Amino acid sequence: MDELGRLPGIGPKSAQRIAFHLLKVAKEDALRLARTIVEVKERTVLCSTCFNIGIGERCAICGDDRRDRTVVCVVEDPRDIVAVERTREFRGRYHVLGGALNPIEGVGPEQLRIRELLGRIDTDGIAEVILCTNPNLEGDTTAMYLARLLRPLGVRVTRIASGLPVGGDLEYADELTLGRALEGRREVDA
Amino acid sequence: MTVVTGHNGAGKTTLLEAIGYASTLRSFRGGQKEALVRNGATRAIVRADLADGDRRALVEIEIDPSRRDRVQLNRQRLARPEDLLEALRVTVFTPDDLALVKSGPELRRDYLDTVLETARPRLALVRRAVDRALRQRNTLLRQAGGRLTAEVAATLDVWDTQLAKAGDQLVDARRRLVDALAPPAAAAFGRLTRLVEPLELTYRPSYDPPLLDALAAARPDDLRRGTTTIGPQRDDLLVACGGLDARTRLSQGRQRSAALALRLAAHEVVTDKAAARPVLLLDDAFSELDRATATALLDELGRLGAGQAILTTAGPVPDGIDAALVLQLADGRLTPVPR
Repeated sequence: MDELGRLPGIGPKSAQRIAFHLLKVAKEDALRLARTIVEVKERTVLCSTCFNIGIGERCAICGDDRRDRTVVCVVEDPRDIVAVERTREFRGRYHVLGGALNPIEGVGPEQLRIRELLGRIDTDGIAEVILCTNPNLEGDTTAMYLARLLRPLGVRVTRIASGLPVGGDLEYADELTLGRALEGRREVDA
Repeated sequence: MTVVTGHNGAGKTTLLEAIGYASTLRSFRGGQKEALVRNGATRAIVRADLADGDRRALVEIEIDPSRRDRVQLNRQRLARPEDLLEALRVTVFTPDDLALVKSGPELRRDYLDTVLETARPRLALVRRAVDRALRQRNTLLRQAGGRLTAEVAATLDVWDTQLAKAGDQLVDARRRLVDALAPPAAAAFGRLTRLVEPLELTYRPSYDPPLLDALAAARPDDLRRGTTTIGPQRDDLLVACGGLDARTRLSQGRQRSAALALRLAAHEVVTDKAAARPVLLLDDAFSELDRATATALLDELGRLGAGQAILTTAGPVPDGIDAALVLQLADGRLTPVPR
């Protein structure tokens, strides 16, 4: 129960419920879970190009030649790739920073995979970098830092727009979100 | 007005503190969270059933010093602390308000920011951005250990930009607030003291704007000291009377009147800007006042117009107070006092 309680999002009550559940289920079901955990730990590695999680030297995305290598979406965490992939809007590649600038947590540029990103600009012939860090203070600061490094290299640098949820009402948007949405306004296709 | 009487230590201030907490999620007495929980108990619960016209709201807070408060508004988990301010606003008067005029700038900055957020709860986002960017920048300065490498410079550049963006917004809002507070504060002070010399409020920044340039200029100094030496966190609200600094040059009685004037002006500005009348919490507010000032304060409170007010007092109900309800607080229970 202590082991389970250490998992994110699992409180003492959930840990207890899961533990008793595992005691009750058929042996093979429990073993399948155990094997899956072992397999995940043993087979997955970080992609040597983009630092996404994958099996083998290159992740599935970097190994997919149909994907545009000249456009790179920079994210903080492999989980963010899953989120962007779900949109099915993006056909380029990724780069995982492994976090955001955050001195309080001891994260400076050295702790992020920024040098590796700069290295890819020439080798991969990157023309556009989309900064897809979180829309919070640390994510914005990291995006600004990267933009200042990348622009002089002649790369197009863009930041994902942040703003109103689709299907929402203007009336209920908070000032900060609405302000950002106004800042990031664009021409209407007509 | 509701008057709460009770002996010293009966819990009168605690009652007001709990009402204030249901609005701001902090105690107007300051101090550690442990102090909010009864000795021997592990947590404290605040429940406030609010009615304003036909609008009802239920605020429930569990205060446990070992973790973050659990807060529910209408049985829903609270998304942002400032959402509570939409449900309940308070203006607090306490004998400790004297410190507002007498002590260092921190209390006055806090006064301004609290009034700003009470009037416009969304400004809490700006203040949080300033606090966070400042903490990040200060940590970075300490980590640099006084040496400005190219990497530290580039990283400082971006934190400076973030701090400046939020900081300029906050200071701009504070300046406009001081402009709005000054006339009602001067008027109230004049009526409280019958002095000819007016009360003057001036925002005194610690730097020449824009903040981004000021941060760049202060950088060598900041690196040496390992902290941010200028910015919204170093500004002050200057309170003066006839050109004399109220902090050092006024008598204690007049300092007290100046503090009352600041609170009264805040109440007026919030009522005006938020289009909602805060609940007045008067913690033993008359105890330290001379008779003339007490009478004048009563007039001022009458001038604020209709609205809810809760006054605590250890003694009898002060003269001139038209109490709609008098409650006796003893052994943790409130009982109406027949009149």
